[in-house]
Amino acid sequence: MKPAEVSTPSDREVLVKRSFDAPVNLVWQAYTDPALMRRWLTAMPGWSMPVCEMATHVGGKYRWRWRDNENGQEFGFTGEMLEVVLHSKIAHTQIYDPGDCDFGSMGGEPSIITVTFNETNGITNVTTSIKYASKADRDAAMSTGMTDGMEMSYKQLDGVLAG
Amino acid sequence: MRRDIFQAIADPTRRAIIALIALQAMTPNAIEKHFNTTRQAVSKHLRILTECELVRQEQKGREIYYSLETEQLKAVTDWLEKVQEIWEGNYKRLDALLAELKQAQKEERKK
Repeated sequence: MKPAEVSTPSDREVLVKRSFDAPVNLVWQAYTDPALMRRWLTAMPGWSMPVCEMATHVGGKYRWRWRDNENGQEFGFTGEMLEVVLHSKIAHTQIYDPGDCDFGSMGGEPSIITVTFNETNGITNVTTSIKYASKADRDAAMSTGMTDGMEMSYKQLDGVLAG
Repeated sequence: MRRDIFQAIADPTRRAIIALIALQAMTPNAIEKHFNTTRQAVSKHLRILTECELVRQEQKGREIYYSLETEQLKAVTDWLEKVQEIWEGNYKRLDALLAELKQAQKEERKK
């Protein structure tokens, strides 16, 4: 499958598009079953997802937490389900919980995440929209050290592989 | 309202202008020749890019040349690249998981 495409449709929104070689019912399962989610939604190499509480009904709360296996530092996301349409759409709020990771602030107001699923001939197209509450929150997300921390993990891994 | 860099790079014509002047500074006339659009449309795009501090104008004789302010653009494209990298990492694991689920489903059907 072609690598994920990232675009910026508006000043507060980031859009990620990717296709998967599987029918929508299986993709949906991988996106909603915590046991399956924990196997792929690990954020970065060398990280795990010790907490993955999912909700698939409107108003339900979810809680995801990641851990750097090397130093035990954690961060997470929490939020509430706004819309759930079987095999088609999941929308939820997202609040960043910095935990004990020094990634910096990610802005105050919750972002809105909307994931849509669309199957054609056994290929499922998944579109993820990340909508920040304000431009200030977007800038905070952009300037946060979180991505630097992530890059560092990649580099550490590269070092391990090279050594 | 102050123009925003996300908006600036969301438009395909503006992205094409950025790609064009990334190679060398150009006059509006020269830029216009690369697009099937009006002079007004091109100058509007250039104004938006200037307001976002993505391009810089320079007077040379009677002509104004536009060139790219690469540092500004780099901050955004670097971030978007990291975003892409992180998602693609997750998605590759998802590819593998989905292949496994498909196989399991196939075997289930054989029974």
